[in-house]
Amino acid sequence: MLTIENLHVSVDEREILKGLDLSVNAGEVHAIMGPNGSGKSTLAQVLAGKDNYDVTQGRVLYRGEELLEMEPEERARQGVFLAFQYPTEIPGVNNAYLLKAAVNAQREANGEPQVDAFEFMRLIRSKMELMNISKEFLNRSVNEGFSGGEKKRNEILQMLVLEPSLAILDETDSGLDVDALKIVAAGVNSLRSKGRAMVLVTHYERLLELIVPDHVHVLSDGRIVKSGDRELARELDARGYDWVQQEAARA
Amino acid sequence: MTGDTSNGRFAAGLGRLPGSAETAALRATALEAFSATGFPTRRNEQWRYTDLGPISKADLDFAPQLPAEGLIARVAAMLDESGFDSAAPRLVFVDGGYCETLSQTGDAAGLNIASLASCGAADVPARAHAALDGHPLATLNSALVSDGAVIAVDDGAEAPEPIELIFVAGGQSDLAAHPRIMIDLGQGAELTLVQHALDLEPASGWFNVVTEIVQAPGSNLTLYRLQDHGKLRFHTALVRAELAEDAKLACGWFDLGGRLVRNDFDIRLAGSGAEADLYGIFLASSGQHTDNHIRMDHVAPRTISSEAFRGIIGDRGHGVFNGKVVVHRDAQHIDARQSSDNLLLADNAEIDTKPELEIYADDVKCSHGATIGEIDEDQLFYLRARGLEEDEARNLLTFAFANTVLERVELPALRERIADRVAAHLADSGVAGEHP
Repeated sequence: MLTIENLHVSVDEREILKGLDLSVNAGEVHAIMGPNGSGKSTLAQVLAGKDNYDVTQGRVLYRGEELLEMEPEERARQGVFLAFQYPTEIPGVNNAYLLKAAVNAQREANGEPQVDAFEFMRLIRSKMELMNISKEFLNRSVNEGFSGGEKKRNEILQMLVLEPSLAILDETDSGLDVDALKIVAAGVNSLRSKGRAMVLVTHYERLLELIVPDHVHVLSDGRIVKSGDRELARELDARGYDWVQQEAARA
Repeated sequence: MTGDTSNGRFAAGLGRLPGSAETAALRATALEAFSATGFPTRRNEQWRYTDLGPISKADLDFAPQLPAEGLIARVAAMLDESGFDSAAPRLVFVDGGYCETLSQTGDAAGLNIASLASCGAADVPARAHAALDGHPLATLNSALVSDGAVIAVDDGAEAPEPIELIFVAGGQSDLAAHPRIMIDLGQGAELTLVQHALDLEPASGWFNVVTEIVQAPGSNLTLYRLQDHGKLRFHTALVRAELAEDAKLACGWFDLGGRLVRNDFDIRLAGSGAEADLYGIFLASSGQHTDNHIRMDHVAPRTISSEAFRGIIGDRGHGVFNGKVVVHRDAQHIDARQSSDNLLLADNAEIDTKPELEIYADDVKCSHGATIGEIDEDQLFYLRARGLEEDEARNLLTFAFANTVLERVELPALRERIADRVAAHLADSGVAGEHP
């Protein structure tokens, strides 16, 4: 599904990712953990197509195609979804409009007809219930005045509606209380399937107790320095990151 | 332009205007007052950003007071086609003249609506023809006004539905119209008024309207204005309001068309607890110039004012926001906010924005801010990351910028009309797509 080879990325001529390799197969959930400043969010943003990041070396293949050659909207239409760490507020554009426009963009790419109002409501109703989002929400502007938890639930709602092939969740757990975390995890888990891959970027292990990953990677100083299974996440939670970084330095 | 020349030019028309001998005397006095200064120039601080040269140099004639029947029929058809409700209470004016056949005033209790001319000289307050200090164009209106609307709501009465004032320019070139709107609200009275200004077909000319508002204690006025002229017309407007205790005034001002547009607001919060809320959108492109100029006087304590205007400026457009809040001595516990947010769509778009405060009291809460920007890159990326094409996302964000103001319009049909027209105008500026 996703193959990242020797990825080097700079921001303002400062190198953030320094030769990152990662391979994610369909049906797998990968967690990328690491201390602040290790490059986790940079990776997520680069995969979604944010500009101001210079890819100086390496490549990214998504379903065999060069992901980095695609415009952000093309990636989205091809089934790549980024759940933002800080979802952007867009006053004047309501949630229903955005959701519908996003669904229609995808349908257009797949050569399918545009969604009508009834079909749209059918499509989103159960997903809104799952994310504990009320109907009034549809008429509110995107993320405007939302609490941190509402913003994250909104991201997951969009993901549920768009059913991406590759979902990248950037610190979706940050700023959530236990109840909101459970709702978000239920949403993400409901989408796990054989044909779909997920990359969870996170700082904390607690999310991974609820969304159990197949693989856990430690990102440090722009590279993946250790990989393992969920036990690695628990170990990191108990011992911190220093030992992994020291191990990497010795190697 | 010197005063003498304009005096001679306008004086020739005075004899054709309606009114008694007293009215004629008032007109002559107003014209003298105007002629003493003539059209203001940019040397005048109040007119620093707006050059009236195109108006003062234009060879404009007064409109005939009563529009011809054929023209009225064409206006009627245009209004029907444009979705105006012919059954709603409304006054229709063509080239400044009142069209009784297209109007109906309804018979709601406590609500008095009439055209200015039909009131007769005795019923028209002398102030309709009085010179207005500091407002030369309004003073010219006082001299040359031929018709307009007089609306009075009795104490405790509430207008059951919005009243529309529709001013149509009939398509003949180089006509000037000077309508007058007078609104008196009694104690606790409530009224919603919608003023439309539009062209039957695009033609040059000048529309110079004065709206005078007197609000008794506890009264509540909501005033909308949709200016949707063709891009050849000059439009100047003064709204002058005096609010007694606990009176509330809301003005939603939408300027989409016109070549040279200047709106003056002169609001006096004279009674404690009075509240004025002015907001609007203006679009300017293809050489259009739109200037919103506000003076807000907090005379009494515990008064509240808010000004929030948004400009979308396209190719060769020029927008101006100049708002001044004056808090008078001993007017304590004031809350005054001003904001001017502007979106520039082209490199040669121009905006001058100048929120000002003058405070002579010490216990006040005042804020003002101005922003000038382009489309927000983070918002753009967010929409693209959800699959929207870049152009589509840009257009959506441009509508969204206007939409946050449009959401404040409480009449759904009007909101929809303005949104459609904003979309149509933006499409002319290369911003295509549906409004959200």
